[in-house]
Amino acid sequence: MAVLEMKQVKKSFGTGHKKVDALKETNFHAEQGELIAVIGPSGSGKSTFLTIAGGLLSPTNGEVLINNANISTLNEKQLSKIRLKEIGFILQASNLVPFLTVEKQLKLLDKVKKDNMDKEQLEQLYKDLGIGDLRGKYPSDLSGGERQRVAIAKALYSNPSIILADEPTASLDSDRAYEVMELLKEETKSKKTTTIVVTHDIRLVDYCDKVYKMVDGVLELQ
Amino acid sequence: MFLAWNEIMKNKLRFTLIIGVLMLVAYLVFFLSGLANGLASLNREAVDKWDADAIVLTEESDQSLTQSSFAADLVDSINADETAVLGQLNAIAQTDDQKANVSIFGIDSGEFIMPEVTEGSAFTSGNEVIAGDSLKDDGFKLGDTLSLSSTEETLEIVGFTDEARFNAAPVLYTDVETFERVKFGEEAAGTDRQISGFVVRTADLAEVTDEEDLAVIETETFIESLPGYTEQSLTLNFMIYFLFVISSVIVAIFLYVLTVQKISMFGVMKAQGIPSGYLARSVIAQTAILASIGVVVGLGLTLLTGAFLPSAVPVSFDIPTMLIYGMVLIVVAILGAVFSVLTIVKIDPLKAIGG
Repeated sequence: MAVLEMKQVKKSFGTGHKKVDALKETNFHAEQGELIAVIGPSGSGKSTFLTIAGGLLSPTNGEVLINNANISTLNEKQLSKIRLKEIGFILQASNLVPFLTVEKQLKLLDKVKKDNMDKEQLEQLYKDLGIGDLRGKYPSDLSGGERQRVAIAKALYSNPSIILADEPTASLDSDRAYEVMELLKEETKSKKTTTIVVTHDIRLVDYCDKVYKMVDGVLELQ
Repeated sequence: MFLAWNEIMKNKLRFTLIIGVLMLVAYLVFFLSGLANGLASLNREAVDKWDADAIVLTEESDQSLTQSSFAADLVDSINADETAVLGQLNAIAQTDDQKANVSIFGIDSGEFIMPEVTEGSAFTSGNEVIAGDSLKDDGFKLGDTLSLSSTEETLEIVGFTDEARFNAAPVLYTDVETFERVKFGEEAAGTDRQISGFVVRTADLAEVTDEEDLAVIETETFIESLPGYTEQSLTLNFMIYFLFVISSVIVAIFLYVLTVQKISMFGVMKAQGIPSGYLARSVIAQTAILASIGVVVGLGLTLLTGAFLPSAVPVSFDIPTMLIYGMVLIVVAILGAVFSVLTIVKIDPLKAIGG
């Protein structure tokens, strides 16, 4: 079953001769348990692709379906609910709240959403990601790699069906980058989520089940 | 609440500064309200003590007790539940080494405006007075003989009573005959009693008198027309109301700056699907926490200062008023947070992701 599906999705910015087709007609689907990479140079439209997939941006044409529900016609409030429930974001700049400890970053999600991981699953998550000792620390006390691992924990904690990662390894050295990809792969397989990683770093494609290449707004399966 | 509190705990210095500013504003508000209250009672406490509904003065006195004078037998024309005669005169009272502005009240000891004696005894024969106990602070004491500025008559303090100041002057209560001798001289005694007004308790002010020369003035109106009273309380209240506006603006600016600094963080949270409403409530909760702490500390500080002030400073704290002002301060602070809430609602989560 397709967890995420895009049907003839198009996105243009501007009008008239200033009109730019950031994303040309795209058909895309992702299955449960797949780790997918979308690679391409900056400005190729991969961020547009990610934000449309994540319900942050509405497409100009076409339909986006998450678990077979069309999200292209929803308003911002409804989209916000979908993002909270179905999607876990891992962002380039760490998406942590500076004044919350690692433990409380996750607890914040309990305040706004039910059906997050229970205590046992959470302990396992801490263990898998190797951040159990960091739970009392603030983001400013963590290294880049540690922050990214906490960001992954945060994305996974809400039990989303899709994880969208935007350059998750951008601020990391190679060893750390591989480590993060390894973690993402393990979590994708064990939690049966769908993970889409957008990156310009082709070294990461070895970890992925499918690789798409984005060139000038056109998405192609490699 | 979760976000609000955790942020305060993480950035203690920053939020202590904000609380400090709010505390100072609250302190000023409370202190001014104490001063307004103190100055007001300086003028009105003797009148408040009557617990009367109205006072009857001559029409031509223009609501001034000092300027009113008429014969006491007009009491026959008064229709009220309770009526008390009152003669009033301003004078300077002095002993060998003290001098004070006083207000002499000539009353009948059997009527309801007779004060309770807190020290010594009531006046029983002529030229004895019960003095307001604020005179004690000026060095007057029981048994003192007072000579007066306008007459050869002397008065003797035989008792003290509390809360007895009228238009900022301590009151000397005496009988109507003594009042007449002081005001009009020896020869006036024995003729028709001349007094300044009737103090009445009644439910129906319109029915009090049909004498054309007499005016019935509601107690509150009477107080407001005391010289300087309205001007004084308007000035202080204006300052207090202005402080409410100032504190709202201060909170608005502080929170707005803090919110602008956090725009990208809020954006990320919104991208993750945390509702704007939750973030907005968190800012409101934070403001309420900061303002409440500021107000409580300000209140404590005010009462502490009040305890150490010399009695010459006319502050008197009215706790219910202060509680209301404190509440108003918290509410206007929250109004100040509305700006930030609007900013949060408008943040585009897409921008935070840099898409």
